[in-house]
Amino acid sequence: MADAELKQKVEELIAANPVLLFMKGTPEMPRCGFSMRVVQALDAMDVEYGAVDVLPALQPLREVTAEISDWQTFPQLYVNGELLGGADIVEEMFDSGELAEALGVEQPAAAPSPATAAAPAQAPPLQIE
Amino acid sequence: MADLGEIEAMIEAALPGAAVEVVDETGGGDHLRATVTAAQFEGLSRIDQHRLVKAAVKARFDDGAIHALSVKTAVPGS
Repeated sequence: MADAELKQKVEELIAANPVLLFMKGTPEMPRCGFSMRVVQALDAMDVEYGAVDVLPALQPLREVTAEISDWQTFPQLYVNGELLGGADIVEEMFDSGELAEALGVEQPAAAPSPATAAAPAQAPPLQIE
Repeated sequence: MADLGEIEAMIEAALPGAAVEVVDETGGGDHLRATVTAAQFEGLSRIDQHRLVKAAVKARFDDGAIHALSVKTAVPGS
């Protein structure tokens, strides 16, 4: 049974963000290859999106998304309140042009080059003792 | 460690008539990739197609035989 308060919070986030990604890590610093692939697809689409790092509450969030959308693994991309999919589906839809259609944007001219897409947008934060 | 033939059979049982191929992606037996072509997918969103496949093998996730299953779905003739 999922935490009712957390579930309500997640439902509010999904309702408030037309494009919302639940991921491991942050768009600037993904902590999982699957999450990074979805970030790259979204960045290539040049679309604004919200991102939630699930790592601080992984198990409770699994229980919540299992109840909300019958899906327990992350990343999860929600578009207009509906779960579109995880990394497999997002990449397949990116390649076929369906992702651009779902997001209501133009398909980018070229797929993102892994070399440029993998480079962080900014330098990682410095560790200061 | 999952039995690939059993996983294929579970998906085929849930989706009669489907063409199912399950391969071991890492050689460790617990990260699998399933390619499923089924007429039952017609008209469903991709996420619903994947839900059908994952539901078919849920028992092997629950008992820990599979840790990860990549899924690729298609409708016959498309």
